[in-house]
Amino acid sequence: MLSANKLIHCLTKNNYCKLTILRTFSAGSIDAMSQPIDYDRFINDLSARRKVSPIRELTKLFTTAPPGTIFLAGGIPNGSTFPFSRMTVELKDGTTFKLEGKKIENALQYQPTPGYPPLVEQLQKFQTQVHGLDSTFWQKNSLLVSTGSQDALCKALEMSLSEGDPILVQEPIYPGTSAIIRPLNANMVPIGQDEHGIVPSALRSALSNYGSSEKVSAMKKDVPKLLYLNSTGANPTGATIPTERKKEIYDIACEFNLVILEDDPYYFLHFEEKDPVSFLSMDRESRVLRFDSFSKILSSGLRVGFVTGPKELVSRIELHTQASTMHTSALSQAIVSSLLDEWGSEKLLQHFKMIQQFYKGKRDCMLASADKHLKGLAEWSVPRAGMFLWIKVPGIADTKKLITEGGIEHGVILVPGKDFLAYDDAQSQYFRASYTVASPEDIDKGFARLANLIKAEIA
Amino acid sequence: MNELALERKPSILRELMKNHATASKNVVFIGEGLPHPETIPFSEVSFTLKDGTKKVFTGSELVTAINYLPTQGNPKLVQKLREFMDRFHAPLRWEDRDVIATAGSQDGLSKVIEMSLQKGDAIVVADPVYSGLASNVRPYKAQLISAQYRKNGLDTVEMKDKLTAIWSSRSKDVKIPKILYINPVANNPSGHVISDEQKREIYEIACEFNLLVLEDDPYYFLGFQDELPKSFLSMDTENRVVRFDSFSKIFGGGLRAGWMTGPKEIVRIVEMHMQVSVLHASSLTQAIVLQILEEQGWDGFLDYTKNVKEFYRKRRDQMVALADKYLTGLAEWDVPEGGMFLWVKVKGVSDVLAMVMERGLKKDVMLIPGHAFMSDPTKPCPYIRLSYSLVPMEDVEKAMQRLAELIKEEQAIESQK
Repeated sequence: MLSANKLIHCLTKNNYCKLTILRTFSAGSIDAMSQPIDYDRFINDLSARRKVSPIRELTKLFTTAPPGTIFLAGGIPNGSTFPFSRMTVELKDGTTFKLEGKKIENALQYQPTPGYPPLVEQLQKFQTQVHGLDSTFWQKNSLLVSTGSQDALCKALEMSLSEGDPILVQEPIYPGTSAIIRPLNANMVPIGQDEHGIVPSALRSALSNYGSSEKVSAMKKDVPKLLYLNSTGANPTGATIPTERKKEIYDIACEFNLVILEDDPYYFLHFEEKDPVSFLSMDRESRVLRFDSFSKILSSGLRVGFVTGPKELVSRIELHTQASTMHTSALSQAIVSSLLDEWGSEKLLQHFKMIQQFYKGKRDCMLASADKHLKGLAEWSVPRAGMFLWIKVPGIADTKKLITEGGIEHGVILVPGKDFLAYDDAQSQYFRASYTVASPEDIDKGFARLANLIKAEIA
Repeated sequence: MNELALERKPSILRELMKNHATASKNVVFIGEGLPHPETIPFSEVSFTLKDGTKKVFTGSELVTAINYLPTQGNPKLVQKLREFMDRFHAPLRWEDRDVIATAGSQDGLSKVIEMSLQKGDAIVVADPVYSGLASNVRPYKAQLISAQYRKNGLDTVEMKDKLTAIWSSRSKDVKIPKILYINPVANNPSGHVISDEQKREIYEIACEFNLLVLEDDPYYFLGFQDELPKSFLSMDTENRVVRFDSFSKIFGGGLRAGWMTGPKEIVRIVEMHMQVSVLHASSLTQAIVLQILEEQGWDGFLDYTKNVKEFYRKRRDQMVALADKYLTGLAEWDVPEGGMFLWVKVKGVSDVLAMVMERGLKKDVMLIPGHAFMSDPTKPCPYIRLSYSLVPMEDVEKAMQRLAELIKEEQAIESQK
C-alpha cells in the first residue's frame, strides 16, 4: 500500500517518520490501516447547517409507500398544463430519437436533485465501467448530476472552505476555479507543475510547512485539506498526470488526510491509445471528489456534468443544489439519457475516438505553425490531451503587458499566463493558445503575428 | 452586500468571450477554449407543441441552442425579457436595471441571499413562508422577522411595529434587517394574494426602513383574479426591488427557466457568481423559451396563461368543495386566491407533526406539516399544506375522508392530555 518512493522518503527524512511507518505496518491488514475518514473535517459550518427539505424527503418516502397511498404533499405543477407534446433529436450519424408521452412529461417536470433517475443509473454504470469501480464503491460513494461540472465544483469549494483556509492548487490554475476560491478568502497554496502535472515533491514540501502528516491530518483549521487539480489535459498547461505519479499524489493525500478535487472535463480528449487511469479509480479510502463533464464531448450548452464521491460530501452538494438550481435541466438530462441509450457503449466510444482524432489533428496543425513561426522565440511541450498549448516566451518578463499593449495592434489575442496564476502580483512568461476552434489559416496568421509582436518587444 | 459579494471579480475567460463578440474581425482569437462544432453530435433538435406548432433548430440556430452562451443569457432572449417586463409590469429604466436568465428563478434568489447575508443577519418575511427561502437562509442562522397573513392580507401594522422596535432597540443582539422576502401572488403555502394597495403600503415600509425587496413571483400568472396584479417592480421608484420570475409553472419546472430583474449592481454580482458556477442557464431551454415568446406574442402568451390559470382555478373549486364537505368543523382555511395549495388549520390540535408524519402515513395519506413553512419550525404548528395540482379528484376525496378521520382521532388524543 505504501509506495516504495514514499517509504524511502520517510526513512531518509527522520526517525519520527520511520516510527510512524513501523507502527502502521504492525497495525495488521491493509484494511485496518485505513481508518474511515471523518468527513466533518471537510465540511464548513455553513454547509453543515444545510438541512434536507421536508418536501423532498416526503417525495422520496412516497416512492416506497404502499399502493393506494394518496400524495397531497407535493408542490409540483400539473404536467398537462405544459405546452409540449414532443421533442425530436437528430444526430449527425443519422440516429434519431423522440421524447414523447411519459418521457416528455418527465423532461418538463421537476426531478429529484441528484438527477433524472434513468440518467443517474446510466452514469453510475458508466463510471463503474470507465474507472473499474468495484462492487462496494456505490455503498460509500454517490453521484449527482450538476448544471455543468463547474457548478458541482463551485458547491464543493463553498461546502468546504472557510475564511483563511489554505487550499492546495495546481499552478497555473484554471481561472474559473481561482475565481471561486478568492472571494471565500481562502489562501491558494500553489503547487508547481512540470510537463506531467503537479510535482509530488513540491506537494509534499508545501504540506510539510504545516507540520508532520500526523499533525496535519488531525487538524480542521489552518491546514490544507483540499487538493485541486486537472488530471487530463490540464487547463492551461495541457499536462496529463501519469498513473505512477497519480499514485504518489494519492498516497500523499492519504498521509495528510486530503480530499482530492479531480476536475477532469478533458478526460476523453486525450491523444493516447488508452484512457487515462483516474484518481477515482484508485480511491481506496474514498477521498476523491471527481468532476466529469459532457461539455467538451456532447454539448456545452445543455449544462450537464456530474460529480462522483463520498456520500457525506456529495450529500452536502445535493443540499446546496436543492436550495438553488434544484436540479439540472430535466430536458437536458432526458436528452443526454436518450442519446446514451440510443448509442450504447460502442457508438459512444466511437464518438470519443472521433473527437480524439479531430483534436489531435488540430493540435498537430498548431504545433506545425508553432515550429514554423515561434522556433527560437518560444518553448512548449507537446500536449498529450486537452485543448491548449502552453507557450513560454523566455525573452519576455510579462506576457500580459505584451498582449494588452500590442495584441490588438498586431491583430492577435491569446490568454496571458498571468491570468492563470494564484496571485495578482506575480508575472508570467507564458501564453495559452487554444487549437480547438480557430482555422488552420487563422492559427498560422496568429502565430506569425505573435512572432512579430515578440520580436518587436525583444528588439 | 456581504464581503464575499464585494470580493467577486469577473471571470477572465467569460469576459474574454464577451470581448470576442464585439472585437474587430481583423483580430485573430486563439485564446478561447471552446469545443469545435464538428465534435458536437447534434444536427437537429425540434419541438412540437400541443397546438400543433413546430420549431426546428438547425444550423446556426442549433449552435445557439446547444453551445456555451454569455452568462447573462441568450442575447435575443435577454432583450425579449426586457420587453416582457416593460409590457407586463411597467416601462423600466434599463440604465439602472437589468435582467439575467437563471437556471430556475430559485437560483437567482439563492445567489442574492448568498450575496447579501452574513451569519446571524435578520430578514423580514411574511408567515407562512416558502420553505425554499428557509433552506437558503437557515445555514446563515438568519433571524426571521415575520408578519402574519390574516384574513384581509398581510399584517402590515405588525411588520411596521416590529421594524420600528428593531430600529429603536439599543441591544447589540438585535440585527437590523436589510431584506424583505415576499411571494406576493398565491403565496406558497397559504395561497394569499397581496392587493395592489397593500403592496404600496409594504413598499413604503421598505423605503422607510431601507429594505431590499425580494419579489419572488413564480405564480404571478396563476392568480385567480381577472386582472394581473401590479407588481412591486412596477411601483419601484427607488430601485430597491429584485424580482424573480419563472416559467416553471407555465412551460415546465424541468426546463429550469427563470430570470431575475433588478438594480444593475445586484444583477452584476449574481452574474459573476453564475460565471463561476452554472456558467449560464441551459442554452436549449433559453432557445425554446425565446421561440415560444416570439411565436405567441404578448397576447398569445397572456391567453395561454389564462388557460393554465383556469385549470388550477377549477381544481381549487373542486378541492374547496371537498374541504367544505369533509372538514367543516374540523378545520379552517382561507380560499386560495391563486396557485396550487390549500393551507388548512386543524382545530383542536395544537401540533400536527405526529398526526401527519406518523398516523397519517399509517392511514395511507401524505400531507405536509406546516412547520416547514413557519419562520420558527420548532414551535407547535396546527397547519397542513395540501396540493390540488396533480392528484385526481376521486383520490383527493378519499384523502379528505382519511384526513377527517385523522383529525377526529387526533382531537380525541389531544383532549385526553
